[in-house]
Amino acid sequence: MAKIIIDSGKKFRGLGLRELIASRDLFYTLAWRDFKIRYSQTFIGVLWGVLQPAVQITVLWLVFSHFIGVQTGGTPYLAFLLCGLSPWAFFSFVVNNSGNSIIGAQDMVKKVYFPRLVIPISKAALGLIDFTIYLCILFVILAVYHIVPPGQVIFLPLFILMNVIAALSVGIWLSALSIRYRDFQFIIPIVVQLGFYVTPVIYPAERVINGLPKWATYIYFLNPMAGIIQGFRWCLLDAPPPSEYAYISFGIIALIFASGVYFFRRVEYVMSDII
Amino acid sequence: MPMSDVAIKVENLSKKYELGTLGAGSLRELFAGIFSSKKAREEFWALRDLTFEIKQGDIVGVVGKNGAGKSTLLKVLSRITQPTTGRAEINGRVSSLLEVGTGFNPELTGKENIFLNGTILGMTRSEIARKYDEIVEFSGVARFLDTPVKHYSSGMYVRLAFAVAAHLEPEILIIDEVLAVGDSEFQQKCLGKMGEVSKSGRTILFVSHNMSAVMSLCNKGILLRQGQLIEQGPIGNIVTHYMHANRNDTHDKNLVNVSNRNGNGNFRFTKWELTDTEGMPVENGMSGRDVQFHLYFEINEPSVRPVHFSLRIVDDFDRSILHMSTTHTPTGEFKIPAAAKSGKVVITVPRVPLPAGIYSIHLFVSDLNVVFDEINFAGDFKVEEGDYFGNGKTIDPKLAVVYQSSSWQLVTQ
Repeated sequence: MAKIIIDSGKKFRGLGLRELIASRDLFYTLAWRDFKIRYSQTFIGVLWGVLQPAVQITVLWLVFSHFIGVQTGGTPYLAFLLCGLSPWAFFSFVVNNSGNSIIGAQDMVKKVYFPRLVIPISKAALGLIDFTIYLCILFVILAVYHIVPPGQVIFLPLFILMNVIAALSVGIWLSALSIRYRDFQFIIPIVVQLGFYVTPVIYPAERVINGLPKWATYIYFLNPMAGIIQGFRWCLLDAPPPSEYAYISFGIIALIFASGVYFFRRVEYVMSDII
Repeated sequence: MPMSDVAIKVENLSKKYELGTLGAGSLRELFAGIFSSKKAREEFWALRDLTFEIKQGDIVGVVGKNGAGKSTLLKVLSRITQPTTGRAEINGRVSSLLEVGTGFNPELTGKENIFLNGTILGMTRSEIARKYDEIVEFSGVARFLDTPVKHYSSGMYVRLAFAVAAHLEPEILIIDEVLAVGDSEFQQKCLGKMGEVSKSGRTILFVSHNMSAVMSLCNKGILLRQGQLIEQGPIGNIVTHYMHANRNDTHDKNLVNVSNRNGNGNFRFTKWELTDTEGMPVENGMSGRDVQFHLYFEINEPSVRPVHFSLRIVDDFDRSILHMSTTHTPTGEFKIPAAAKSGKVVITVPRVPLPAGIYSIHLFVSDLNVVFDEINFAGDFKVEEGDYFGNGKTIDPKLAVVYQSSSWQLVTQ
């Protein structure tokens, strides 16, 4: 028989992975709910999921390739852009949505027990749908330009995984923080907006490495997405492999992930009291 | 491992809230906190040192006034909030129902919400699929399952939500005041369903202000007052204890200082009196004897609309026995002169139809739109044994809660 111990003395109870896995149906239902609601009562429905990125891509392409003329060393700009935009779009979606997710689900949090991590993770799952759409557009563009990905494309799943973990970790941190400090509701969109420019989405990371002093480059690569986008371009476009700086990004991802989950589990027990 | 017959074991359980810091903070407060000494916070103990055990199969009513800690106790046992001290051990799978329809989304259809709400309450999707037909049947809204619930009436909404909850199959069920919603017919259906659940050997923890629901459903009770455990035992004793504790001081019929009241205060009850029909004060009523209630009030804000009064008489088990109001008289509501500063209404009750006992009276005044003043447990109304039927006989209290005289004729052929 299941036995539940409620103990005031114990403040941290591990990751609760088993419980999280037991809640997979809830996780699935919440993600599906968000998907359903997003396009409910719209005329063209899911088509918006394609139309939105298509417009964004077109605008960025026109502005940065034609008007500003960003140099990408011979790679067609559209292909170059999408290798950066796909992981970034996923990252910003998850950070924006899971950051406020616990506050958004406060009615549930106050009335029902379940592992709270399900909430931000279900937002990441929703983001995967958009991510897939971006990747499809990316592969169509590669085909149009007859670009055959090089052998290191086998590492792409690794970078996708890192992308998911990075987005989720930041999302988990912010969802836990924004409960107590609602200021984050305003900080998150600003940071995401700024992040678009301090991440090598619309320009090559090499311009930063070559253009900035060494110490500034170190700071630049504290951004977890910088290394990941370098990886994407290396896998798909045979761009230079992730620089030694990229390992800073990868280290940061691991750090944010571990600390985020730990922090979240610590505040999980007071969530319903302070929300 | 031997099967334990204890379902819930609670030891020294306390829950403290810090007033003023209950809500979310802001970054400014965080920085202010770093640079200034920690300000003294007011503490509030919602639960204080509770220790008790609940056996498998017991249906326990948790009874107490608002603020006694009932909901906090359920929240702690549901693992929604963490206790400040102490521990609890729960043997079995728990489902808690602190609200009906948690997570219901207005944009989704009835069918989709069954799955959403079900998984939030801890069911798996396959479990819901298996019970789906039963849930639909119970809800009685089968025709509207493909309609978004935003188009539902509130009654349909509650039915659907409760239908999902009623099909939870935990070993331990924790229920908070959820029956307060919905029409009475459906409430009965839900109580019936819960009764079924309890017969199947499950342990239930049930909070309600409806003492007759508690009495009919539970076999054990826990009485809480200001976060402390006052008494644990058979439900009858607990409810009686609770009702007695609610009473005002018997002889004090002055209502000026009653703080536990609702309403905007345009009119306020100041005191009440009991007299015979000659206007001579009496201590108690008597079965079969006429009595008058005098309700004195002050007027703080004159009412342009007609004013409505009501007097409710409630028995020891919190059952409303009599409800007398201006609505149910030939003359109706009172038009009160704008210049009046205070006044009284006199209610004549011919031949009090109540068996001997101690009742409490509940007072209410409004303009049928806004509540001016409402006092529950405004005082005791003691009824002495009297000769209601004019022949010296009384009725076994098990057979009737009120008296009604009748005339009988015999027709034979």
